Amino acid sequence: MSQPVFSMTRQFDAPPALVWRCWTEPDLLGRWYGPGVETEVHRFDPVVGGLWLHEMKMGEQSMYQRMEYIEVEPPARLVMLMSNASRDWEVIPSPMMENWPRTLLTTVLFDAVGDGTRMTLEWTPHEATEAENAAFAAALDNLDQGWGKGMDVMAEILAELV
Amino acid sequence: MSYEQDLDAVFAALADPTRRAILARLSDGSATVGELAAPFEMSQPAVSKHLKVLETAGLIDREIRAQTRPATLNAARLQDAVHWLEGFRAHWGDRLDRLDRLLTELKQEDTT
Repeated sequence: MSQPVFSMTRQFDAPPALVWRCWTEPDLLGRWYGPGVETEVHRFDPVVGGLWLHEMKMGEQSMYQRMEYIEVEPPARLVMLMSNASRDWEVIPSPMMENWPRTLLTTVLFDAVGDGTRMTLEWTPHEATEAENAAFAAALDNLDQGWGKGMDVMAEILAELV
Repeated sequence: MSYEQDLDAVFAALADPTRRAILARLSDGSATVGELAAPFEMSQPAVSKHLKVLETAGLIDREIRAQTRPATLNAARLQDAVHWLEGFRAHWGDRLDRLDRLLTELKQEDTT
């Protein structure tokens, strides 16, 4: 099975250098990445091998995300390993979803298009188990390609049930 | 089974293209093993195996009374998985919306 990749592309009316700053300056990052939830950034070091340790507080409980930077090439390319983590920042399986890949290799590309930026996000399971890959591949089938006519029919059925 | 284990089975079931095709066929109505085997050019035991996986995942129901045990799509079950999958994308979509607004603000700050 080839490695499943999920991607999202978004066009921004701002140059790559500015979009890049929004990913690599903690004050700016905090204004879009996690508002709405109380967050605490325990470490933020966007250099190769550096860590971004992110805590989202949900009442008594917290969700911990651990990011490790793999490639940092301003203002064009940012590659990191995104994982769910324990409070000690050990990589753990998703607490919300069995068999969701515990680590996603995440690539962010910043392409200049005119005066703006086309930003592409790619996620692919990293050193994943077979079950993690299968869960992710199933996600992709649904999100990206759809299931053709069959899925359309199913969507209609689901809509009727809601 | 816990909710997570349930979804685990759903994902394993959905990971196979033949099983997805069977689900798509069942979305047009119930079908027996024989009716399902024909278009897929598969043996009935092979189809039965796939149906067993789908049934375990709760994605289909099998009629117990009739000898042919026609299979029926259990759409509500599928909804759980679909919701989770869409959640990831929606979450990032919201984030990118906020990034878009932030960039607009930053550009205005630059020009003032």
